[in-house]
Amino acid sequence: MADAMFVGLSILTIGSAIISLESKELLYGGIALAVSLLGIAGFFVILDAPFVAMFQIAVYVGAVAVLVIFTVMLVRSPNTVTKRETVKRKISGIILSLAFLALFGAFIGNSAVSQFSFSDAVPAVDIKEIGRELLTYYSPVLIVLAFTLAGAIIGALALARREDIEEKNEPAK
Amino acid sequence: MGALNPDFRFGNFVGSIVQLVLFILAFVTLLVLPIIFFVLFFVPLPVVDGQVLTPYLFFSMMVDPSRTIPVIQFLIHTDLFRAAVFPGFAFAALIAASTIFLERKLLAKMQLRVGPLYAGKIEGIFQLLADGLKLISKEIIVPSGADKVIFWLAPIMFVSTSAAVVALIPVAPGWVAADVDVGLIAVFAILGFFPLIILLFSWASNSKYPFIGGLRALHQMVAFEIPFLLSALPAVIFAGSLNLSNIALSQNLFWNILVMPVNAFVFFISSLAELERVPFDLPEAESEIVAGWLTETSGMIFGLIQLGNYLKLYALAGLFVLLFLGGWYGPQIFPPELIPGASTSDVSLLRLVALEGLYNPVTINSIFWFTVKTFVVILLMLITRGINPRIRIDILLHTGWYKMIVLTFINLFVVLTLIYGGILGPGGLISVK
Repeated sequence: MADAMFVGLSILTIGSAIISLESKELLYGGIALAVSLLGIAGFFVILDAPFVAMFQIAVYVGAVAVLVIFTVMLVRSPNTVTKRETVKRKISGIILSLAFLALFGAFIGNSAVSQFSFSDAVPAVDIKEIGRELLTYYSPVLIVLAFTLAGAIIGALALARREDIEEKNEPAK
Repeated sequence: MGALNPDFRFGNFVGSIVQLVLFILAFVTLLVLPIIFFVLFFVPLPVVDGQVLTPYLFFSMMVDPSRTIPVIQFLIHTDLFRAAVFPGFAFAALIAASTIFLERKLLAKMQLRVGPLYAGKIEGIFQLLADGLKLISKEIIVPSGADKVIFWLAPIMFVSTSAAVVALIPVAPGWVAADVDVGLIAVFAILGFFPLIILLFSWASNSKYPFIGGLRALHQMVAFEIPFLLSALPAVIFAGSLNLSNIALSQNLFWNILVMPVNAFVFFISSLAELERVPFDLPEAESEIVAGWLTETSGMIFGLIQLGNYLKLYALAGLFVLLFLGGWYGPQIFPPELIPGASTSDVSLLRLVALEGLYNPVTINSIFWFTVKTFVVILLMLITRGINPRIRIDILLHTGWYKMIVLTFINLFVVLTLIYGGILGPGGLISVK
């Protein structure tokens, strides 16, 4: 059953990823990207990590895909993609990515990750354990990440702020 | 009778009917029955009452009063029943339908109108049926230049996404279509689909008013997503679980709203914004942009979106009850037996009427109180619609991004203080265990 689901999800994910790259209509490409990200959430469900799967859906489908589609709708003009890829470039790209995949697979196959043994009785990943580790041993990392994100948001707000408009709308009191 | 065809012969008429019957019989024996048996050969049949439930046994058990209860008992515990009928789609659709009628009547009374009056003679109780028939029989108009695939798919996606949210809402201990460990996160993840569907539909309509409405919906939902999620957080901290059933079970001593009233308020306001109800109905502001993102909908497309909206209303009201109003807990008002002495009687019909083996007073009580509380929350949402004007979009965004997010933190800190002070929560002075 899990194998059938795995094959189905793989076809869904890779197929919609290919559509999202090859589709001439940009909007359909965006929708296919959302479906592809949804397929990845399905993989997380199969891997017994529903928490990660839900955040994959909430963040990637609910936020990233929406923003991508939103952008596509706003800058929709037929001349956005004029450069057609030649067959030569396409084939070399596919070969390059396959080579990278083989290299990466070899890396993982020889690393300690392949030594893990999983059983049905004990879940491989315990969410509570992750939460505890995150707030005790790895808390400095969490704080640094939080500051980085806060800095990025404040920077984005500072860049997006236009004071000339502000003055026009709200005259000085 | 004058309009009858002059070539009409009664014998021909009877002959054609006999021919039709023979054809159907031949069709059934030659094709339908072999297919049924072929399928039954491969489908593993369930065991009920110690016997394999074949279709013949099913029919014979259904007509025998003494053997009906086990079959029904088996059926209501299947996953399909849970997803499609009781805690799932049909139950929610029933509540949604009664909500639509209640809304029209209640708002009419509040605004000194009469509301639906004629359909069904008594206060227009069949108005909804009439509206449904009208929507089904109406032509579906697809605007020229519309993206047909998305235009047809988006309403179906809207309803199915709403049904997915409904499937996560438990109505009694163990009575939930999908019991997920990360139930609350799943609800918010699925709610995140709605802006995408609305945006796609509004774009596919190829019209300016739907597109403006879609953009408004996107802004509104993104602005209220964060306070929505954050306001549910203290309830999760209390229960020590993201499972909605566990969150409800953690409130058997007191309701969460007693400890976190501010968060309940924020959650209520955010769910109004998520549902696009007055005062947050900017995406479908009918006095500004025709009907917002619903402008180009007609016939059953409009019907499906309306159904999805009211399913969502039920789901969010149920979520409010589960998180803040103590879930399904309430005083036990149902008797231990429907008909006293029925379980020991010999009359099988009496046992059938008393629903012996089906009737569980605790579960019925839970379902009753959950439904009552959900209706109270729905009524609050409807009354809000009756007495409020629409707010401006800049005030809406300001409310969402500044005020609501700050308000959610107040109760979060209160709850954290209570838990670390050892008063409430798992292992506290006043706790469940």
